Amino acid sequence: MSFLQDIPILTFILLSPLLGLAVILLLPGQRAAWIKRTAILATLIPLALSFWLYADYDRAKGGEGYDEAAEWLTIPINNDTNDTVEMLFSFQYALGVDGLSLPLLLLTSIVTAMAAWAAWHVKKRWKAFFGWFMLLELGMLGVFLARDLFLFFIFFEITLVATYFLIGVWGYYNRERAANRFLIYNGIGSAIMLVAFVLLVNTAGFRIEEAAGGHQYIYSGSYADIGANMANPQAFVHLPPEATGGVNPFQMSEGMHWTLFILLLVAFGIKLPVFPFHTWMLKVHQEAPPSVVMIHSGILLKMGAYGLIRFGLFLFPEQAREGATMLAVLGVVNLLYGAILAFRQTEFKLVLAYSSISHMGIVLIGLASFNEIGLQGAVFQLVSHGLISALLFLIVGSLYERTGTTELPRLGGLARSMPFMSGVLLVAGMASLGLPGLSGFVGEFLSLLGLFETKRWLTAAAALGIVLTAVYVLRSVLGITFGPQREEHTALRDARFVEALPMIVLLAFILLLGCFPSALTDTVQMSVGGWMEQLLSSRSGG
Amino acid sequence: MDMFAKIAWVIPLLPLASFLILTALGRSYRTAGVWIGSIGSLGAFVMSLLVLLERLKPNPVDYSNGFDWITIGDYTLTIGYEVTNLTSLMLVIVTLVGFLVNVYSAGYMKEDERITVFYGYVSLFTFSMLGLVLSDNLLSFYLFWELVGVCSFLLIGFWYARPAAKAAAKKAFIVTRIGDAGLFLAILLLFWYMPEHALGFTMIESVFDNQGGTITEGITTLIALLIFLGAVGKSGQFPLHVWLPDAMEGPTPISALIHAATMVAAGVFLVARTFDIFEASEAAMQTVAYVGAFTAIFAATIALAQNDLKRVLAYSTVSQLGYMMLALGLGSLAGGIFHLFTHAFFKALLFLAAGSVIHAAHTQDVREMGGLGSRMKTTAWTFAIGALALSGIPPLSGFWSKDLILAVALEENLLLFAVALAAAFCTALYMTRLFVLVFLGKPKQAEERTAGAKESPAVMTIPLIVLAALAVAAGFVETPWNGWFGHWLTDGAGEAHGSAIAIVCSVAVGVLGVLAGWAIWGRERGAGEAAATLAGRAPGLVRLAERKYYIDEAYEAVFVRGLRGIGAVLEAFDRYVVGGAVKLAGLAANAAGRLALRLQNGQVQTYSLAAVLGIIVIVLAVIGRRMLS
Amino acid sequence: MLPSYLTLAAILFCIGLYGALAKRNAIIVLLSLELMLNAVNLNLVAFSKYGVVPALTGQIFSIFTITVAAAEAAVGVAILIALFRARGTVDVHAFDRMRR
Repeated sequence: MSFLQDIPILTFILLSPLLGLAVILLLPGQRAAWIKRTAILATLIPLALSFWLYADYDRAKGGEGYDEAAEWLTIPINNDTNDTVEMLFSFQYALGVDGLSLPLLLLTSIVTAMAAWAAWHVKKRWKAFFGWFMLLELGMLGVFLARDLFLFFIFFEITLVATYFLIGVWGYYNRERAANRFLIYNGIGSAIMLVAFVLLVNTAGFRIEEAAGGHQYIYSGSYADIGANMANPQAFVHLPPEATGGVNPFQMSEGMHWTLFILLLVAFGIKLPVFPFHTWMLKVHQEAPPSVVMIHSGILLKMGAYGLIRFGLFLFPEQAREGATMLAVLGVVNLLYGAILAFRQTEFKLVLAYSSISHMGIVLIGLASFNEIGLQGAVFQLVSHGLISALLFLIVGSLYERTGTTELPRLGGLARSMPFMSGVLLVAGMASLGLPGLSGFVGEFLSLLGLFETKRWLTAAAALGIVLTAVYVLRSVLGITFGPQREEHTALRDARFVEALPMIVLLAFILLLGCFPSALTDTVQMSVGGWMEQLLSSRSGG
Repeated sequence: MDMFAKIAWVIPLLPLASFLILTALGRSYRTAGVWIGSIGSLGAFVMSLLVLLERLKPNPVDYSNGFDWITIGDYTLTIGYEVTNLTSLMLVIVTLVGFLVNVYSAGYMKEDERITVFYGYVSLFTFSMLGLVLSDNLLSFYLFWELVGVCSFLLIGFWYARPAAKAAAKKAFIVTRIGDAGLFLAILLLFWYMPEHALGFTMIESVFDNQGGTITEGITTLIALLIFLGAVGKSGQFPLHVWLPDAMEGPTPISALIHAATMVAAGVFLVARTFDIFEASEAAMQTVAYVGAFTAIFAATIALAQNDLKRVLAYSTVSQLGYMMLALGLGSLAGGIFHLFTHAFFKALLFLAAGSVIHAAHTQDVREMGGLGSRMKTTAWTFAIGALALSGIPPLSGFWSKDLILAVALEENLLLFAVALAAAFCTALYMTRLFVLVFLGKPKQAEERTAGAKESPAVMTIPLIVLAALAVAAGFVETPWNGWFGHWLTDGAGEAHGSAIAIVCSVAVGVLGVLAGWAIWGRERGAGEAAATLAGRAPGLVRLAERKYYIDEAYEAVFVRGLRGIGAVLEAFDRYVVGGAVKLAGLAANAAGRLALRLQNGQVQTYSLAAVLGIIVIVLAVIGRRMLS
Repeated sequence: MLPSYLTLAAILFCIGLYGALAKRNAIIVLLSLELMLNAVNLNLVAFSKYGVVPALTGQIFSIFTITVAAAEAAVGVAILIALFRARGTVDVHAFDRMRR
């Protein structure tokens, strides 16, 4: 037992943004500097704690020991059958970490801290901005920590609302339209997710407990319960007949399995985004303020993939395996489609938006490969892309502040006046196109390596993406940094130290992961390996 | 015993340390860059030399070591280093040329304000190249393979403000990236087909050498061809050669180091390192040989008609790399690597001498030069040695290596022998042309510009002299009557090829080429006239060679436009079909809303009617359920 | 006896409902509302007399209803008069300004 297992560390991490929020709300609204400092400090708390947790995490044991659970909400259901059975809806405040969520938790705290640090662009209503910002962090941390469907949903929606306001109030010129589009798409996604969750709670969430004077039939949102039921649907058969009334109450037909899987796929696919649900994201990338895009592209998109893995793959391995070809095709389409369209854009932010689509294609490819390597690759790509896109948008924010534009034709030759920032942009671009030694390569390599085991031709098509990625990254990055200097840019100054600091931090992480990927893969391995074992046993058993 | 081999991993770290120090220092410390970069590469050279000397002892044992990079379940990917005869030789070539280029650049890049950055990049390149050479498996090879590519890209685009440099850097990266994708797929194939998912070169050797039928013929050929695709990209073989001539936009020392001696030879090195895969597949060997031979003659003819000093040398490099590939394709590992070895010295020498000329004359166009021989004696003499070595004139090093290849070709395939001879003739021809136009005769146009030309400082000429000495002497390790080099390299499977016919032919075409060149361009004639005589006889051909057979234009038309076209189509699709569907959904929702709005007419009576209808529906539903149950 | 009372009440209610929903004159709408209320009253009284558990409560309820109906009619007519003064008509179709 380590020290962290004795204290409710997950709750501390989850609620630490609330501390920041409380202090910010108490500060007078005009003290911009103080508000900002508080916000940065507040983001450092979860950062430090999650680092500690990451170091403390026992890779051999997985996340056991950190779990926290408390009854939160029980709703009795009217029953007219008999008196010995009591029926309940039960929702828990349940938190937990495993190899899948821990890296994303760490990613969230890193990117959020850097985004708070980089929020220079906020010129109005600081108090409200950082208030929403803290709430957003709370939501994101919650999404990755929650181990109850209802709790997960609530945190998911918190991020939605917070992002909506952050885009709609502090964004660029067309911010309101972008925010609306964001809300509509994600609202639809959330609605679908809610339907899927309700169905899950009502089928797989079922459990029976002994209670005073009879039994309790409990419909719970607990991920552990649902996972156990999905993995072993026959468990109820072994219950005493008087408890189950002689029938297996856990009945999920083949059709229901598929319905749920597809609902989850669409719900999280919108968030990811999967072609053809990607258009909402373009506007958001273009109009949202830089620090919010850092978070959006760095973390919020990852929530889609996280949900897809956690609920789609882990709960429905059979369906996912049968749908793997579809997933792989979607992934390759995402990869190539995004790359080709990124090549066409003349607005750097749109290039990056399409690039995100392309990179999420690699995540899908990794998922579709259906082996440990591919899944590791997908998770690695999530973390890596989170860092890289955060870094890229950080630079975009600083660029825009100086030049007032992100249109490629109006940029060029910035390496002369801003060598440091151009250098960082170049390295970030290289990371994005998968240069070995930087984190992008490992995710790409592992994903494709995984897919290659089963789907040769799709992998070959995906390898085309390697070339196309180089084409669009170089076109845009060189377009900005190389070439003759423009007259209007001669007076620009390079990044100040405070601006450079988050860039250096993110770059350091990108390098670290690129050179020593086992720092991440070893942590993920426990969860991935466990899932593989379960899959193999169900394959041999069924 | 293997003391130096065991600490061979330190060798790449020295230049890496230089790079890190230089990056941390920033660009203000100008002379520090020169010193730190040079010391790093000198240290690496000394250590490499020690490793090589250790390998020269009888029966050296290969030494390898490494660590697990990623472990996923039962799969392990490692990064490690391995010291063999081949790698120790490459180590010395890379570090020696690297060190000399470092010294040379102190003079060449003196005026540049970003000299520290330059040295940083060069150190990073040296690190990556040494890592590539030392790698013990294909994955770590690939990591460094990409890194050298990126360093090459950075250095081609070193003068980033020039649009031409920007375009060349981009082109170099993307074209080699196509080859890299091939190598990438080859690694994936190997990973899943090799027993125990091993990617180590030693494993590859033992698996493919024995041909136990574990891997089928078709897959072997596919793997070999994909690896070769990577080599084609990196080594500028046809049809991916287009980036290499453009890469001459980079500073000249870089052209010598990266685009002549080391990185472009990495493709040859890759084929040599995975030679057992190729040997297991007849089709793959044929492909390598024919692509190499075609590239050799193809690039040599282009070189004949180019007017840019560095471009001529670049096409010559492409052509010579074709030679090496030809040797490998014909099954002569020693021939390919021997030519790589000698070529590294004399081509680096030629580039550095050309740099010295450009430094003095401030132009790269040979038509504007002439008569520089008298003003720049050292440069002229060393250039002449390099040119003769390249032309294959005995007893210079180029002769011996080229002769070995020709001898092998004579044994194996007469057609390829003829092609190689023709290429050798062209080589002698264009080198003579180059030498005559640059160093002999009278100064041509732009008198006032070339007038100030004078010999370069000692820091630039000393590397030239060292390289010239090597260009003379390096060939004697392997002669038709002394197969020591091949014996040492291939570990006993010695292949001393001596063929009188090959020697005679080789000397004949070399001398003939020089004489023909002298006849056409020599004797004090103006360059314009000379070009006119050749162009007058075969205007179409000359124009074709001058425009590089329109390959660039063809690629532009097919791939660049093609990609743009697909992009345009997809963009329209994205905007109108996907976006249209979204808009349609929005419109549908709007229409539904408008329809519902009709009900909202402000008439309380309508609302009540709706309520009553609702009640009726509920009542009916309740009654219906009762009646059904 | 009960069914006939209930039938009468139902008929009255339906007439009232029809009037309330279909008539254009606001006075008639008000009167129709009264008719519906009285149909309800009739039901209440009928049930209190002939229902399963006869009790006085129903009749007391009907007195309440009559009181409330009177109050409602007073307020309704007052509003109508105000509307008539403002718009010069008691046609319900003219009163749709709440829509905007």
